Amino acid sequence: MLDIRDLQVRTGDTAILRGVSLTISAGEVHAIMGPNGSGKSTLAQVIAGRDDYEVTSGSITFDGIDLFDLAPEERARAGIFLGFQYPVEIPGVNNAYLLKAAVNARRKTNGESEIDAFEFLKLAKEKMALLGMDPKFLNRGVNEGFSGGEKKRNEILQMAMLEPRLAILDETDSGLDIDALRAVAEGVNALRSPDRAIVLVTHYQRLLDYVEPDHVHVLFDGRIVRSGDKSLAIDLEAKGYEWVREAASG
Amino acid sequence: MTQAALSIEALEAAVRRIADGGITPARRAALERLKRTGLPTTRDEDWKYTDLAPIIDISNRWFAAADPAENAVPTIADSLASRIDASWFVIANGSVAPDAAKNAELAGIKLTQIDEIAAPAPTGAALSDLNAVLLQNGLQIAVPVDARLTKPLGFLCIDEATGTPGLSQVRIELDVAPGAVCEVLEYHVSTGDAPHFSNTVIDLRLGDGARAAFVRLQNRAHGHMLTARLQVEQSRDSIFEHAAFDLGGSLTRSDLHVNLAGPGASTELSGLYLAGAHQHIDNHIRVDHRIGPAVSRQEYRGILAADARCVWNGKAIVHVGADGTDAEQANHNLLLSTGAEIDAKPELEIYADEVKCSHGATVGELDEQALFYLRTRGIERDDATRILTRAFGNSIISKLPIEALRDIITETVDARLSALIEDGN
Repeated sequence: MLDIRDLQVRTGDTAILRGVSLTISAGEVHAIMGPNGSGKSTLAQVIAGRDDYEVTSGSITFDGIDLFDLAPEERARAGIFLGFQYPVEIPGVNNAYLLKAAVNARRKTNGESEIDAFEFLKLAKEKMALLGMDPKFLNRGVNEGFSGGEKKRNEILQMAMLEPRLAILDETDSGLDIDALRAVAEGVNALRSPDRAIVLVTHYQRLLDYVEPDHVHVLFDGRIVRSGDKSLAIDLEAKGYEWVREAASG
Repeated sequence: MTQAALSIEALEAAVRRIADGGITPARRAALERLKRTGLPTTRDEDWKYTDLAPIIDISNRWFAAADPAENAVPTIADSLASRIDASWFVIANGSVAPDAAKNAELAGIKLTQIDEIAAPAPTGAALSDLNAVLLQNGLQIAVPVDARLTKPLGFLCIDEATGTPGLSQVRIELDVAPGAVCEVLEYHVSTGDAPHFSNTVIDLRLGDGARAAFVRLQNRAHGHMLTARLQVEQSRDSIFEHAAFDLGGSLTRSDLHVNLAGPGASTELSGLYLAGAHQHIDNHIRVDHRIGPAVSRQEYRGILAADARCVWNGKAIVHVGADGTDAEQANHNLLLSTGAEIDAKPELEIYADEVKCSHGATVGELDEQALFYLRTRGIERDDATRILTRAFGNSIISKLPIEALRDIITETVDARLSALIEDGN
């Protein structure tokens, strides 16, 4: 589904990704772990189409299509979803309005008619109940004055409504209390299916107790230095990133 | 560099034609004052960024060719008025429509038509003298003591200029008696491909405990110009709310002066201006706190695209003895292109001791993070721009003092915004 080959990315004079290769197939859950500054968020943002970075080499294809030919909105409509590490507050834009616009953009691409207002509300409330979100959040400004946990739940709500084929969740688990973490994990697990793929970008192993990954990769200094199954995450938790650092230099 | 000057001789000849020979003493006095002062130039501090040359040019051409008989009500007037449930007073090309008296009776207000202004214009308001010289007919309106008007009073200032330049004078004196409550919509539209200049002067007096909510919606045709002066006198415990939506026209200058003369008075002034290619919009606001306690709020937002030029000057003067004043000023601007320019100047002059005052102005661009966030949700770049821009203006629209107008204002602003974003690209 997603094929990343020798991706090299820089911002200004600083190289951030120094040749990342990764293949993700439908039905799989991948975890990308790594210390702060290893390039995890940059990788997530570049896949979603952020143009602040300069891609100096390599390729990303999604179902065989070159992603660099697509604008962020086209990538979204093709079925790529990025859950932001820091969801943006947009005062004055109603949360329900954004959700509906996003759903309709996706439906339009699929040749479907706009969602019926009643159907939309029913669906949104259903998903919110699953995530333990008060329906009043629909009528608030997008992420406006939301707590950290509320923002992350809101990202998962958008994901649940959009049902993407590839969901990349950038540190969705950071700053969550145990209840919020469980709710987020439930939202992610509900999306698991043989025709979808999920990428969890995370610093800690905590989320992986609730969402079991098929593959774990360790990103260090702009390179994937180790890949394995879920036991790699457990090793990492036990031995710390220092262990990877030594392995990478040795 | 010599600045363009109003041709007083041509003006006098035009007045003579209109008045059929004789010039009344009141008009003569206004003419003499105007001859002495002339119209403001960019050398005047208050007019530094707004050059009246295009207005002077239209006026001089109109003086030379004036055909005062042309007062037909543009055909779009009815359809505009029918969309908003208000007691309408149509002022077409500076002439009050004949059904005004009947409509006033239905609205429960007292209306007198005036054709002369005796009082001299305040210092620096030479445009009010021009208004007095050329006035065809103005309106004097009284809202009775403790009245509650069921519908907003709507003033549809509608002008049409085809072929030759047009000029119109609007004058309204509105007296809201103690305890009365009213809503007022001042709606400016125009049609036609020839240049047009409309010069409006409104005097509003609010009695003890009176309350007026005022909205100005200006959506004039391209190439049309407006100077709008609104002078408000507030007595004890009166409440004034004003929201200005300036969307159209090529040159708009608004002077809003509020005199807080009674304790317990409060005034809330807000505005949203949208300017695109070849548009100039200038808002000058002045609030005089004469006595405390009293509250004044100013919040204006601007969205500028292409080569738009806007001016915002908000002044609050807290006079000696006006203790207990609470004054706030804010002006925020969003520039959608690098060619747009705003001169934002909040000013506070404080001569009293116990006051609470704050002011601030910002100029910025669209938040790239927010734009990217919306695009990752499948929303086109242009749509995302429109959504964020609209959200920026929404804080003014959501505070609209007249609930019944929200839909039409939102719709008009949205349409203008879409055009602006296309302009900006």
